Amino acid sequence: MRLRAWPDSLAARTALVLLSGLAVVQAAGLVIHALDHADLQRNVQLHDIAQRAMGTYRNLAVQPAAERPRIVADLPPTVDQSTEIVPSPPEDALPPAPITLQRQLAGEMQMVPVPAVLRPRDTVVLGSTDGPVLVIGLRFPDGPWLRQRYELAPLRPWNSASFIIAFVLMTAAAAVMTVWAVRRLTSPVAVLAAAADRLGRDVNAPALPERGPSEVVTAAAAFNTMASRIRRFVHDRTLMLTAIGHDLRTPITRMRLRSEFIDDEALRTRMLADLDELEAMVSATLAFGRDAAAAETSSRIDIAELLRTILDETADAKPAAAGQLSMDGPEHLAVRARPLSLKRALTNLIGNAVNYGQAAHVHLSAPLPAAAGDEIRITIEDDGPGIPSEQIEQMFQPFQRMEESRSRETGGVGLGLPIARNILRAHGGDVVLENRETGGLRARVTLPV
Amino acid sequence: MSEAELPHAAGSALDASLLVIDDDGEIRDLLARFFEREGFRVTTAKDAREGRRLWSQGEFNLIVLDLMLPAESGTDFARWLRGQSAVPIVMLTAMGEETDRIAGLELGADDYLAKPFNPRELLARVRAVLRRTGEHGPTHATTTIEFADWTIDTIRRRLIGADGVEVPLTGGEFELLSIFVERANRVLTRDMLLELLRGRQAGPYDRAIDVAISRLRRKLEDEGRNAQLIKTVRGGGYVLAAEVKRR
Repeated sequence: MRLRAWPDSLAARTALVLLSGLAVVQAAGLVIHALDHADLQRNVQLHDIAQRAMGTYRNLAVQPAAERPRIVADLPPTVDQSTEIVPSPPEDALPPAPITLQRQLAGEMQMVPVPAVLRPRDTVVLGSTDGPVLVIGLRFPDGPWLRQRYELAPLRPWNSASFIIAFVLMTAAAAVMTVWAVRRLTSPVAVLAAAADRLGRDVNAPALPERGPSEVVTAAAAFNTMASRIRRFVHDRTLMLTAIGHDLRTPITRMRLRSEFIDDEALRTRMLADLDELEAMVSATLAFGRDAAAAETSSRIDIAELLRTILDETADAKPAAAGQLSMDGPEHLAVRARPLSLKRALTNLIGNAVNYGQAAHVHLSAPLPAAAGDEIRITIEDDGPGIPSEQIEQMFQPFQRMEESRSRETGGVGLGLPIARNILRAHGGDVVLENRETGGLRARVTLPV
Repeated sequence: MSEAELPHAAGSALDASLLVIDDDGEIRDLLARFFEREGFRVTTAKDAREGRRLWSQGEFNLIVLDLMLPAESGTDFARWLRGQSAVPIVMLTAMGEETDRIAGLELGADDYLAKPFNPRELLARVRAVLRRTGEHGPTHATTTIEFADWTIDTIRRRLIGADGVEVPLTGGEFELLSIFVERANRVLTRDMLLELLRGRQAGPYDRAIDVAISRLRRKLEDEGRNAQLIKTVRGGGYVLAAEVKRR
């Protein structure tokens, strides 16, 4: 996986911005510290050089002039210093030192106690603080010059291990806290998204807790208001549908009874068929309107036998289709479900396959015991013409039917698939349709274990 | 059969008297006409109050009760009636309202039909309930029947295995199983089974009894050459060989 420069998540983006800022601030701090540290080191160096130069000068100045070369020769050898006595002011390839450096060195050298009569008659400083060499010429009161050459040690602003450790620890702590705080601040967004998703599946999903920072409380309250409006809307629609369904039952019952007194056998049969159709529509509307799944309690049911039973019932109702029904999969498979709802959902799917696809080949596969969170999968395939792929999702809209089925006698109301999907989603599963490669339609059902 | 010995046991319609309680006037009248045509004596009531009054005045073999009544509900009336008598009750319920139906059956109704019902099915149910109570006396108190490793929940019409898992049955299979457990250890010929199934289901029961039995055996895990639960009797017949407990 490639790490993108600009991440997708809000938390990652915010963290990235804050961490970049932190990096800039830390880098600046580091530079300031280094400059400061170098300055300090340089001052210490100059102080040291001034002390040494003046000390050597004093030791020689108190001696008679003739003795001095011997004493210089006897000086213990040092790494960074060479000393000699010259008759004239030292002249090197080096430029004269800047005035600030001259003043600083002069000041430092004055701190060294020297009797007034022995003080240097003249001072020359060549080179600069940037090194690598500094030449100091001090003139004895009696004429010759003492020339001292110092090699300046390179500055090491990073020489402090404890500073580096402290710096790394501080940066790491700030980074960790930044990431933690960003996560914490952006988590309400994820909660809101999850709640919206839940609401999409179940309008009666519990309300969002209204707590936390004031913006989050406002968002949660707005979301809850919206959810309750949607709930009321769905509830009203459901009430209306159920009311219509209820009211239609009495006239249908009357007509059924009345048709029993029709002597014309053919007429009565036709009327009863009409009434059956009417009743099927009313019961589908009621099943869709009623929150049937919520009212029924869950229990354990053998889904393999349930599918066989539905196929048996289909074969009983339509003996002509019996040869086109098949089922394979395990002999028994227990699931926890709402038995009547689940049966209605699967009956709708198998009924669609038989009515519009002239066949129902059911395949049941048990979840793999090894894979946690695996699902029960059921496919129901038919041999019909299928559905144009751009229309497939629409079939799950209430009262949606394939155009040609409206005129057919097996038309139905267009609630079978929405009811099946509602029920399966209420079980935590789903159903999708797809065209088979070899022609016909396939309904894929998933159910959590 | 021994129907004549029991007080409310009217197996044939001719001597059976029904009390029909429904708030819709036309349905009331049509039901009365329909049942009278089939040879029943019918009295109708428009609400629970009138039902109570008629009940105290007459002798009825079966009550057809609409659950949705104005003022006092059908369930309340059924509860009151159960306090008075064990008379069989067939409920007419709102379509698919599972909770209503279960509540009604738990109150002691003997059967139910969802509105809009098929009148012939209602007739078949009424006859079946009369025959059942005629044979066994009142059966409404029974909510679970146990046999072998199986339990039948008569209210929710479910068959439950020893592991608590429901094994779904078709309507026909459930009726067939009910016939067997009501007549456990009695040999039932194919013709008897067909006749009994006709009494319970509207319309002819087309499917061959043998097919239905083999399906039922498969679901009861009673398959193979020597089925132990639903045994084949030489000479054409079946018997449920199990001890049946009712609760």
